Amino acid sequence: MRAALLEGEEASLLPLIEDDAPGAAARLAVHRNNLFASLTTVLAEVFPAVRRLVDERFFAYAAHAFLSRHPPKEACLAGYGEDFADFLAAFPPCRDHVYLADVARLEWLMHRASHAPLSAALAPQSLSAIPSEATPRLCLRLMPSLGLIQSAWPIDRIWRANRPGTESEEAIDLDAGGARLEVRRRESEVVMRSLTPSDFAFRSSLAAGETLSAATERALASDASFDLAAALAELFREGAVAALALAPAAAPS
Amino acid sequence: MERARPHEGSLAARIGVGLRAPHMAEVLASRPAIGWLEVHAENYMANGPAFEALLELRRDYPLGLHGVGLSLGSAEGLDRAHLRSLKELVERSEPWLVSEHLAWSRVGGAYLNDLLPLPLDEETLAVVVRNVELAQETLSRRILVENPSGYLRFRHSTIPEPEFLATLARRTGCGLLCDVNNFYVSAANCAEDAAEYLAGLPADSVGEIHLAGHSRGRYGERELLIDDHGARVSEKVWALYKNALERFGMAPTLIEWDKNLPPFELLLAEARRAEREAAAALALDADAR
Repeated sequence: MRAALLEGEEASLLPLIEDDAPGAAARLAVHRNNLFASLTTVLAEVFPAVRRLVDERFFAYAAHAFLSRHPPKEACLAGYGEDFADFLAAFPPCRDHVYLADVARLEWLMHRASHAPLSAALAPQSLSAIPSEATPRLCLRLMPSLGLIQSAWPIDRIWRANRPGTESEEAIDLDAGGARLEVRRRESEVVMRSLTPSDFAFRSSLAAGETLSAATERALASDASFDLAAALAELFREGAVAALALAPAAAPS
Repeated sequence: MERARPHEGSLAARIGVGLRAPHMAEVLASRPAIGWLEVHAENYMANGPAFEALLELRRDYPLGLHGVGLSLGSAEGLDRAHLRSLKELVERSEPWLVSEHLAWSRVGGAYLNDLLPLPLDEETLAVVVRNVELAQETLSRRILVENPSGYLRFRHSTIPEPEFLATLARRTGCGLLCDVNNFYVSAANCAEDAAEYLAGLPADSVGEIHLAGHSRGRYGERELLIDDHGARVSEKVWALYKNALERFGMAPTLIEWDKNLPPFELLLAEARRAEREAAAALALDADAR
């Protein structure tokens, strides 16, 4: 039945179904429509700007192709759609929409942030509990809702012009430069903002689980005037640090 | 805030509405007068803001958890991870009622987001009995199993649906959720008599009633009713509801609305209608005795 519903291979299934009018195929089609329509709605709610960028009909077409190849793995659908951006990036009909997959990645981070729990933020004083010999191994775990994305395209402006309820006619210059964005949940809303290249490098490194010293090196490589003390104070001030952790000590060589 | 519990007190206290995400903020802010609320369990399994809001509402309203993804008809057994999430949600939200469907939706690691039909025979009965038993054991409580809306029948089905549900209830001790609209839709689509269908359920097992609207789809010469929860309850379904109340007594009743979600006020109006219908049906019942 899975193949019949997802891939339309119903030859072996139809003879098992009573064929009274309007016929077994039409009856089975009600279930197929339920399946595709409900999951397309799920995707449309997660990716409203993508839907607006490509228009409703093309979105339904792309969603259909995605759903049949990547049906949900679990009934809790809050996690469904994570692969949609990668799918769009490789979907030949979207080839000319060079920025589309990155807009989808941004919308996924926003969706994820909106469903993330609010962990208690750590106070900067917690750093004083770390013995100085352990400092090189110190890692900062960021809030679960926090997401970072870098794009070669101005996806923040593209998103703002295409989010639901906007009537923007703003022409966006695709060559105006890329974006380095941070998304996170604050109480009941999700906020997005631009980061400087060094802050982006710093936070991305921490978010990837690298040590504070590795993150600092990456930030300095991006901008030699990076100010670690200020960047750390800012992280704590924003309530972005959820926990401290120590990376395993390097094995003696 | 004091509120009547549905198991005690008035008729109104036994009538609830299905709460969907777009109405959440309004219900949190206005705390409307309604007997109880029911939500889809799967929408609250992530510990995010939706779950926080649910716990907040839980202080003022009895809660029903209505599962749509447990796939009680899966021959491969229940998905343990999903069952664990459901158990955690039940433990944390302490619902008054927990329900699922006589259907399947999971196969080979894929979740097909629809309540899919089962061939109703002894083999399927054994599968569903096993799954309901495991669910009840894991959750340490009785669950209610709902009749799904039917669009097709399998040729090798040998047990009529009401009889299948009655046997399931007898073997597992589960309760039944009688979805009056689903009975109406299934009967219309598969040329059966809805009232007769309903009369086949064991009255003492029915622990909840659902009411919702449906739409009509044309397929050539023939029309199929589509259970889309996208309209007001139809007059035919209200008539069948009276029928159900006369048979089952004042089971907790829920108005469901999913597609084309209207202002919350309209759900409350449908709940008030259910209250009037129930008052009339139960008075009639008393006269008849």
